[in-house]
Amino acid sequence: MDTMLDMIFIGLLRGGLYALMASGLTLVLGVMNISNFAHGELYMVGSYAAYFAGSVFGLHPLLTILIGALAAGATGVLVERTAFHALRTMSRDKWLTNSFLLTVGVSFILQYSAFVIWGPTYKGVPSYWEGFVPLTPTFRLPLDRAFAFVAAVIGVSILWIFLTRTVTGKAIRAVAEDETGAMLVGINIRRMHTLTFALSCLLAGLAGASLLPITPAQPFVGLGPLFKSYFVVILAGFGNVMGSIIGGFLIGLLETVTYYSFGAGWQNVASLIVIMLVLLLKPTGLFGSKQ
Amino acid sequence: MSNSDRTTKSLVMSVMARFRSVGLSPPTLIFFVVMAILPLFIQNEYTLRLLVVGLLLGSQAMAFSFTLSSIDIINFGFAAFCGAGAYTSALLVINLGISPWLGFIAGAIVAAVLGLGVGVLTLRLRGLFAACMAWFLGLTLQSLAAVLVDFTRGYLGLPVPFLLDAASSRPYYYVILPIAILTYVVLQGLNQSNIGLACRAIGQNTEAAEASGVNPTKYKVINFTVSCALAGVLGVFHAHFVGVLTPEVMATTHTTEVLALAYIGGRASLWGGLVAALVIIPVFEYLRSIVMEVRFIIYGLLLISVMIFYPEGLTGVVRGVGRLLGKLIRRLRQGTESQS
Repeated sequence: MDTMLDMIFIGLLRGGLYALMASGLTLVLGVMNISNFAHGELYMVGSYAAYFAGSVFGLHPLLTILIGALAAGATGVLVERTAFHALRTMSRDKWLTNSFLLTVGVSFILQYSAFVIWGPTYKGVPSYWEGFVPLTPTFRLPLDRAFAFVAAVIGVSILWIFLTRTVTGKAIRAVAEDETGAMLVGINIRRMHTLTFALSCLLAGLAGASLLPITPAQPFVGLGPLFKSYFVVILAGFGNVMGSIIGGFLIGLLETVTYYSFGAGWQNVASLIVIMLVLLLKPTGLFGSKQ
Repeated sequence: MSNSDRTTKSLVMSVMARFRSVGLSPPTLIFFVVMAILPLFIQNEYTLRLLVVGLLLGSQAMAFSFTLSSIDIINFGFAAFCGAGAYTSALLVINLGISPWLGFIAGAIVAAVLGLGVGVLTLRLRGLFAACMAWFLGLTLQSLAAVLVDFTRGYLGLPVPFLLDAASSRPYYYVILPIAILTYVVLQGLNQSNIGLACRAIGQNTEAAEASGVNPTKYKVINFTVSCALAGVLGVFHAHFVGVLTPEVMATTHTTEVLALAYIGGRASLWGGLVAALVIIPVFEYLRSIVMEVRFIIYGLLLISVMIFYPEGLTGVVRGVGRLLGKLIRRLRQGTESQS
């Protein structure tokens, strides 16, 4: 890893994952006002589902990834319909704090259920596709990584087109802007909430499933992606989907540069310093306009 | 006779008032007295150790709820502030040879300074920022402790000198109990003071508090810093009680365990977390056939059901029993009065 170009490639590849995770996280934050601590666990659900589909049932890689994403989306629907819906009907007082704590509980349950059922061992597949893409003379990109990146780009693009071009997507954005107003024009808020949460989980599951050959499934595999996506969300500004996509790539690049300049373990320090600067200078985030 | 009776009565009343002014109401006073004499009846070393751990986690839950219940901020890096205190004291004792008792002060100061930093940076913003920032700080300190192997020995574990030269947990019990009482008295005292009043006003309605001349950021920062300083003190005790430190002490799992205890105990009260820890930790240990991992599933289920169905938590249960007892006593008294 000696050229600058290699570093940029690696950073962008990492960034694709962060963008995928962070855009889902920030969407739920913006639309439902839930700060989801269980987002990483949906990544985990995606990677376990892909493991079983790919390794145990021997399905085609594309189908495997799709199943991973759908499994996470289904889990999302279940969580939204049971836990969040129950909390919403019981009390909306201090919603942000309470819903956050609810997701902490959900995260505990998902993590440790996986631990009890499948144990702490790593479950992965050697690779979906074998082969390399020669990017630069010194750096050949494994096909799996290239595909994970493509999957991230496709996922994020579909989300973006869905939110800006379709009626349902616009309805979701309307709910994010003003829930009462959206209700008045006849938008079914409950359906939008479920859809938003499912979509966000779907993206997390897609990340987990497409990265399975690189990061095998494990009960705590979601923690890393979770806090990276929170870094991105703060950097970009809460609830800003486009910003978090760009922010994802920025954090990916920053981490790769620190990793190769200072060594492992210092990426968090660098990210923390950047976040502190952002909070000091522009607390609404790099791309945020409203508080 | 009636005269002396009256003086003793007034004496008792004035003593009670004094206790109440430092936050010790009769039930809590009775509770702490019971806790103080409890070890006299327990010979089993293992049970004693469980009680020490229960008191430690319970005090952490109290410090955590202090921020949560009054200013509605989740200190999501709570374990990091404990860990910062723990590592500070351990490194000072090992490298400079100071007494672990001085380590308590050093640990509290370092944790308070970190808390002050996070607070000043984030508490003027939405609550989510403080939670995330404290969390990031925790993750960063954890990876720093893992990387700086020369100082901390990383995941190999740092052997820490013990606080007391004792093989039994009994002396430790009599160290952590005063710490727990002190934690309670300090936090309850603050809650009853003007600072506490301002904090509650901010927690309930920031705009209204601001309109009546309360500076929200100032009081939030005071509240947060006090909680972090106490976290540091408790971390120092942890370090010198367990005798080994790994970066794992700052892991998010520990924060979430404290958080679960605080919430199961009751989000609006300080002592709820203490009671929850003293009930849950021994019960979990008793059910040792249950693996460690199932315990966290139970924590998760408890947390969710308390959040949704029973927001008052254990405090609500205890209060309900108290009301029932009060009613019973009143009825008995009425019965005796009608007889006479």
